[in-house]
Amino acid sequence: MRSGTSQLRFDAFRRSLAAVVGCLALLAATGCGRTPAASFRPNMVEATKQRLTPDQEQQVATILLAMFGTPDEPVCLPEAGLDEAKLRLAAGPVRSDIAGRKNGLYREHCAHCHGVTGDGLGPTAAFLNPYPRDYRPGVFKFKSTERADKPTDQDLVRILHNGIVGTSMPSFALLSDLEIEALTEYVKYLSIRGETEIELVRAFFELDDEDEGKLPETREFLIDEMLATVAEKWRSAAEAEIAVPEMPADIDLAASIAKGKELFYGDKANCVKCHGVTGLGDGQANDYDDWNKAIVQWSQEVAGDQDPAWASRATQVLAGDALRPRTIPPRNLRQGLYRGGRRPLDIYYRIHAGINGAPMPAAAGTVAPEDIWHIVNYVRSLPYDFDGELGIDRPMIAKGD
Amino acid sequence: MVRLLLVIVGGSLVAASGCGASRVDAARADTAAAAGLRDSLLTASGGESVADAGPAGTGWATLKGVFTLDGTPPAAKQLVVDKDTEVCSKDGMKLVDRSLLVDGSSKGLANVVVFVRKSSRVKTPVSAEPLVFDQKNCEFLSPVFAARVGQPVDVRNSDPIGHNTNIAGTSFNQLIPAGQGTVYTPNKETGMPVTVTCNIHPWMKAYAVFRDDGYVAVTAADGSFAISDLPAGEPLEFQVWHERAAGPNGALAIDVPGLNWSEKGRFKLTLDADEVKDLGTLMVPAGALGI
Repeated sequence: MRSGTSQLRFDAFRRSLAAVVGCLALLAATGCGRTPAASFRPNMVEATKQRLTPDQEQQVATILLAMFGTPDEPVCLPEAGLDEAKLRLAAGPVRSDIAGRKNGLYREHCAHCHGVTGDGLGPTAAFLNPYPRDYRPGVFKFKSTERADKPTDQDLVRILHNGIVGTSMPSFALLSDLEIEALTEYVKYLSIRGETEIELVRAFFELDDEDEGKLPETREFLIDEMLATVAEKWRSAAEAEIAVPEMPADIDLAASIAKGKELFYGDKANCVKCHGVTGLGDGQANDYDDWNKAIVQWSQEVAGDQDPAWASRATQVLAGDALRPRTIPPRNLRQGLYRGGRRPLDIYYRIHAGINGAPMPAAAGTVAPEDIWHIVNYVRSLPYDFDGELGIDRPMIAKGD
Repeated sequence: MVRLLLVIVGGSLVAASGCGASRVDAARADTAAAAGLRDSLLTASGGESVADAGPAGTGWATLKGVFTLDGTPPAAKQLVVDKDTEVCSKDGMKLVDRSLLVDGSSKGLANVVVFVRKSSRVKTPVSAEPLVFDQKNCEFLSPVFAARVGQPVDVRNSDPIGHNTNIAGTSFNQLIPAGQGTVYTPNKETGMPVTVTCNIHPWMKAYAVFRDDGYVAVTAADGSFAISDLPAGEPLEFQVWHERAAGPNGALAIDVPGLNWSEKGRFKLTLDADEVKDLGTLMVPAGALGI
């Protein structure tokens, strides 16, 4: 009896083993084989958009390899203005160095959303709303600099410290200062690399006939016109910080809020058009940010294209190298969640410079600094302003909506 | 039970090994070439190209011509105007798509952009006089707008409601309050024209082109254009663009005998001093505009 049971068990085990072996064989056959070394994914959307030939795509990949190395072994030309030691701490697979210090921080903490390439196409990206930032266009939203300028290092550090409330971006406050610095340096590296790539891809259209479809591999072109031009914008960011006049210490808060409300609904600041008469973000709500708009516009172009071979490849690129576009709702100002930070200063920056890459325009230039402070105060009062009769006393509603 | 578990584990292994979503194959870098290129880029003097001696031309010339459409333009689509209708649809006004404006009798094609790709000399310094770029009745008054880098552009709003003006690729996106304006000074070339939009009124659209040398023209309602004070005696390459053009990045390519007009919408000419080169009527076949 006993031996019969063991025999049965043994048979069952053998069959299971066979099943597992079968599965493993299947695995080997379907096989991605050994995990290949991590590699940067070329910007296929941009390359296909500009109709690069395979040779031209390869030239871009080769130039980028020469300038930036690989995800496991980043290198930098001096003109990139980056600290290679910091980059090495952030790059590569997760591991410890001889001093027991953690390496591969980007892949441990960031790559699953932002992607190894920093293209915002990590494995989890499609499941997040909003999508993780694609660093490659070199556009960042939450910063202390003028709209057209890059963020300062400190701006990136603040985002890593605080995370971005209302999004999937968590706080990394538990990392050491050195680790945070290594990561911000690596984000800059990916951004400079990505922006240089876009510039290189677009440069093919600007070639002269004599160039015969090949980018000149000279220092003058690759460094002076391409890399250094992109890197310089990062270097000059620190000088582009917005000068913010102090909010008057003796300000009458109630009066300031009332003034801010007037501006919010008025034709001058016009916040109401997008953030809505209720402040719930229910105004102009079917717009896209720059990242998504680029995909929307290009999809339309692909759909209308007359070359079926190109359109079919472009459709594949859209499916594999882009996320389904999403509209960007204006912020609901009654929740008290401010993605770029909740300090009055942060809200001042957002109103002054607008939000680069997003529809939010800059008010500076047409709205005076003290008026921006009034709007800041009104916006900060909105989460506490609910009176049960939203919008009743507001001019846009009174017009008979 | 154990077997089931093992099969499930095995199966999920196969699934997990997955190879990911199917993506198009990307080009691979040439590793050896990259190493060589890197070395040459690290050598300070490596690969330096010889500075252009600069063509030794003197004098100035003019280029002109008239673009016409060879075909019948389709009726312009009406735009969806669903905001601020008390201003934007005042008195039953209907806004229409202006991407293809053709003169009824002459068939002149408006809003074709012609600019010089590179030039060595410029006759006049950048004007400090602002160019006006206005919006009224929820429409930009210039559907295609050209300016010289460094010349101030007075972005105005002649409507009784607020707008914002968002120039793609420049990071300029500014609130323009009712009846007011703000000055924007373009600080770099655009290459091909870029879109100008208003995020509050999504149907509003125009194009802007900024050029360092100011050698740029936009065809008028009758399809005519002229660029004057062009440097004579040097080969000039002209780029032609139209919003609806079927070529890459909006390049307008047409077949003109003797001009060798490329698919990228370019042709080359060397003009003599004081020459007024008239290209005459430039017929644009409907196909070149994707009609």
